[in-house]
Amino acid sequence: MAALRRRVLEVLPDLDPAQVTDGSSLKELGANSVDRADVVTMTMDDLGISVPVREFHDVRDIGSLARLLRGHLG
Amino acid sequence: MDVGIESLNVYAGLARIGVRELLAGRGLDPDRQANLLMTSRSVGLPFEDPVTNAVNAAAPILAGLDPTDRAAIELLVTSTESGVDLSKSVASYVHDHLGLGRACRVLEVKQACYAATGAVQLAAGYLASGVSPGAKALVIATDVALVDARAGFAEPATGHGAVALLVSDRPRVLTLDLGAFGCHSYETLDSARPSPRFDIADVDRSLFTYLDCLTSSFAGYRDRVDGADFVTTFDQLAMHTPFAGLVRAAHRKMLREAGTSVDLVAADFERRVAPSLRLPAMVGNLCSGSVYLALASMLTHADVSAGARVGLYAYGSGCSAEFFSGLVDAGSARAVQAMGIPAYLAGRYELTFAEYTQLLADTADVLVPAEHRTVELGGYRKILERGRAGRPLLAHTGAKDYHRRYEWV
Repeated sequence: MAALRRRVLEVLPDLDPAQVTDGSSLKELGANSVDRADVVTMTMDDLGISVPVREFHDVRDIGSLARLLRGHLG
Repeated sequence: MDVGIESLNVYAGLARIGVRELLAGRGLDPDRQANLLMTSRSVGLPFEDPVTNAVNAAAPILAGLDPTDRAAIELLVTSTESGVDLSKSVASYVHDHLGLGRACRVLEVKQACYAATGAVQLAAGYLASGVSPGAKALVIATDVALVDARAGFAEPATGHGAVALLVSDRPRVLTLDLGAFGCHSYETLDSARPSPRFDIADVDRSLFTYLDCLTSSFAGYRDRVDGADFVTTFDQLAMHTPFAGLVRAAHRKMLREAGTSVDLVAADFERRVAPSLRLPAMVGNLCSGSVYLALASMLTHADVSAGARVGLYAYGSGCSAEFFSGLVDAGSARAVQAMGIPAYLAGRYELTFAEYTQLLADTADVLVPAEHRTVELGGYRKILERGRAGRPLLAHTGAKDYHRRYEWV
């Protein structure tokens, strides 16, 4: 979650960090489609993981995204 | 033997709408235009379809060939996600209206926005094999758009038209680096056209797969080409351009993965990528022709007079992708610039939002098979006369017993 939060705040620098919660979605926070792709690909790079695209199907908010990425950590 | 693209031409319709006008009409945030990096999108007219777009793109190329060279076209491939029949190809109509010889292979290929590149590579391999010395292949990427308000921000980024590519052993436009390629494919549903009336798209999935496939196809390229480096091997880049903001994100991702300092990314983008985005910004996404519109743009706006290696990336939803490369020089730029693409694009009729929404309603059934149909030029004749710039164009006039009808106008 910390890695994800860091990249969210980097891509959306005007965001209040308190808004980045488990239940918020990147879209609601103002991230456009390219911003969302940037956040996910950069966080995967940081963590050294590659998550197949089909596994993102059930991602609904930042919390579920963080859980999916965490599940791929060695 | 050198093999590659001998001639390239673009036909992107006769009408356009400004992206600012379109976003305002839809009540969408105009500030998002900065992310789209689009100025206008091409819009089809009721008498334009995948057949007329293909013929109108290729006819100027054929007009420049002598009879011997025309007869050397042994393969015609249309690449489209806008098929007009489940069995009969767009290419069969195109073959007729271009007046190509009967000793010609004729077929249609489909893999969303990738298929034209697959056809170019298969044709290049055929030509390089030497089984038919002097043969040429005509590959035409041709599509129509079905977007409307439901597409949200994808609407202003979606184009209409065709790119014709003559592939031969006289590659004036692009000499392919034969054997230098990397492919990456897997099944996913990021966007599709499940009906002749509408598209579906999962924007997040599509952007993710585009970016994922770029990294993976370039890794495949690097496996085949010793020492290949995304930053230093290619003087210019031309990529499939659904919208320019995605290409910018893709370039940034590749440089980040190559360990390039963040401070250098913007200047590298301006030098190696921006020239390829200027014509796409005037047209929108041309499906499998998009990467070749980007190539035409690069050859129009970058200085390649000293010779340049260009890296090309084709991506088609569903998905299949390829990274490949080739060589261009001053002759390439001259050959593309001789087609007068920027002036033609600038001469398209600019629609008001009201004209545009009427046009969407008038063209919604262009891909729906009809047993009998008559298509009139009607009130759109003034747009035809303005945009044609004096040259003959093929028009779709209707159907009789499911047989689509066309006339030169």
